[in-house]
Amino acid sequence: MTGAAPAAGAVIAVRNLGKTFTRDGRRVEAMRGFDLKIAEGEFVTVVGPSGCGKSTFLHMVGGFEPVTEGELLVDGRKVRGPGPDRGVVFQEFALFPWRTVAENVTWALEIAGRPRAERDAVAERLLAKVGLTQFRQHYPAELSGGMKQRVAIARTLAFDPRILLMDEPFGALDAQNRELMQEDLQVLWNETRKTVLFITHDIDEAIYLADRVVVFTARPGRVKADVRIDLPRPRAIEIKKSTAYTAYRNRIWDLLRDEVLLARREEG
Amino acid sequence: MRALGRTLLANYSLLVALVAYELISRSGLVSPRLIPSLVVIGEQLWRYMLNGDLPYHAGISLYRAFSGFLLAAVVGIALGAAMARSRWVEALFEPIFTFGYPIPKISLYPIFIFVFGLGTGSKVALVFLECLYPIAIHAMAGMRATDRVLVWAAENMGASRTQLFFRVMVPAALPTLFTGLRIALPVSLIVTLLTEIIGESKGLGYFITFASASFEYGRAMAAFVVVAVIGFALDRFVVALRRRVVFWLKDVPAIG
Amino acid sequence: MARPPRWVGALVPLLLVAVWEIAARRGDAPEYLPAPSVILAELGALVASGDLFVHAAASLYRALGAFAIGAVTGAAVGLAAGTLRAVERFYEPIISLTYPVPKIAALPIVFAWFGLGDVSKIVIITISVFYPIYIAAFFGAKGTSRVHVWAARNMGAGRWQIFRRIVLPSALPQLFNGLRVGLALSFIVMVVAELVASQRGLGYLIAFSEEQTRFDIMYAAILTIGVLGFAADRVLLAVRRRALKGQLLATAEAR
Repeated sequence: MTGAAPAAGAVIAVRNLGKTFTRDGRRVEAMRGFDLKIAEGEFVTVVGPSGCGKSTFLHMVGGFEPVTEGELLVDGRKVRGPGPDRGVVFQEFALFPWRTVAENVTWALEIAGRPRAERDAVAERLLAKVGLTQFRQHYPAELSGGMKQRVAIARTLAFDPRILLMDEPFGALDAQNRELMQEDLQVLWNETRKTVLFITHDIDEAIYLADRVVVFTARPGRVKADVRIDLPRPRAIEIKKSTAYTAYRNRIWDLLRDEVLLARREEG
Repeated sequence: MRALGRTLLANYSLLVALVAYELISRSGLVSPRLIPSLVVIGEQLWRYMLNGDLPYHAGISLYRAFSGFLLAAVVGIALGAAMARSRWVEALFEPIFTFGYPIPKISLYPIFIFVFGLGTGSKVALVFLECLYPIAIHAMAGMRATDRVLVWAAENMGASRTQLFFRVMVPAALPTLFTGLRIALPVSLIVTLLTEIIGESKGLGYFITFASASFEYGRAMAAFVVVAVIGFALDRFVVALRRRVVFWLKDVPAIG
Repeated sequence: MARPPRWVGALVPLLLVAVWEIAARRGDAPEYLPAPSVILAELGALVASGDLFVHAAASLYRALGAFAIGAVTGAAVGLAAGTLRAVERFYEPIISLTYPVPKIAALPIVFAWFGLGDVSKIVIITISVFYPIYIAAFFGAKGTSRVHVWAARNMGAGRWQIFRRIVLPSALPQLFNGLRVGLALSFIVMVVAELVASQRGLGYLIAFSEEQTRFDIMYAAILTIGVLGFAADRVLLAVRRRALKGQLLATAEAR
């Protein structure tokens, strides 16, 4: 059931978006003629081959990369730079190595001048949610990749953004922790129903978490397919074994496989 | 006791060097006046420390070196930050630095004497100028090298430009900045001593020169030992300071 | 923020020189700041008379000669210390103890031991230059990737082959950084040594002209030193580019 997202009340609206990078005289086209609409409260995952521009797209929504062609609107307004309304969880964690875990989590609140008591309470709550209460006084250098990733997620949740932009947030986790975090994220999201744009390489993860899975083409990136996931919520992790789930997986992999081969061929 | 033994063993080459020196001194191959025995050096060191001469001259040299260094640190960090923030500021200043670096600013010393007089002022000015370059360059490089993702994360969380500068770029620049400071500190001492060798009546540089001119090489080398200890102690101090301030990095990287 | 054009870098120096020239012509400049045009004229005269060549040659002989000695010894010992534990254990204590010591303080003593001629200057320059090059070579060799060495061993390489084909190329980038620092240092120490005591050379020229209050000669000499230092640095960079051909491509340098 491929279908376009409902146009009404689109929080993120993308029309004919393109992005060209110029690197010492050479032009690299990351995206071209890209359309997408995401409604309020939708969880949209994006899968695509390496180099297809999915991270670039997220960076543009986040306001870090300027739009070079086309239109990108958030809440009906052009994106003018980064801000706490669109909370980002970066692939590289981006934790501040000179602050403790707890201080990293409440950084946004600290610079907004929130009182200490409030910040401590938020840190406690969120660190418990990601299972890192014991490490609140530790420094990022002392944590493993997976733990850092969890701190990064907690940090973004701390300032309660309306929109969540997550760039392969579970990429650094091992397979077991990954499943646990997927489940936790799903539960969390069910409580708050934020609008989420989630990038991943893992098709299973994409299907499990999403209302819609968007499949990107190889570079220059465009939407190849927009698959609505009609699985009931809340979703227990066992749903991954169901036949409906497997059908989705096969379909999406078929769509993706050609693009991956194309990307590989392009690399030489 | 055992720890001392182990330290001596690890630094056995130092002992070998000292012993070799002593043997050469006593062998009579060269006049013992030119290569004074360690005993003589030690005795001169003791005498001139006790009578206050060496501490006095050392204090003067240190005062000059530190003044120039601190001045260079303040201006250098500000300049480096400005250059990191604005490509235009960088384009304006960087060529001056790169071209000025190979020119031994010591050759401009006579000018400084004209402007600032023969005393401490001209020396501090020269120290300032020589230390400015490594500090500014490292400050700029440190801030430039701030991981792009950290800046994005801070912006994402709504940080203002000021907050971004003081809370993200400065801490991120500290490791590189300390390398610059570590390079500049011995420079301050070297330049100070140099100006004192060239022409002065105070300071350790003068002390060494005067002793050499009077053929009192034992005394000169004793002063050199003081210089060596000061230089070594200052370096260790910077390393220790860095370890405390930049506590999130484990290793102290190599110089240069 | 647009990238400023290249020529912006020349603005401030040109402006300063222009202001200097105008002020000097009008008689506003102090005695020790003769007009740039006067300096250039004097420079021309020095070149024509051959004097500049004599002094420059003397200075270059000392600086570059000492640089060569210091570079070869520093690189050799540094690479050896970075490769062989025994060598490291011998040299490291001495070097790290004496590195922060301002070697310039030994200048009067070196003059006493070796006289006031070329030898003492070459000695002090060599010692000064040795350190940064040793350190760069040492850390460059130490930084050789263990995995690369294992791969080489796996393919049957012997100890000398590993040194020549793995350690040396790995250490080269950092070694060249040390060489650059050492080269600049050789010029600086050369001038210093000549300022203190010499009868020929550009540093001597500076001291001499200052005594005679011929500041135009002094600036001409300073300018010459700067140009020579800059030229030497460019030559080294060209050598570096050839020596490090493949390795630079992965870095920000390859633009």
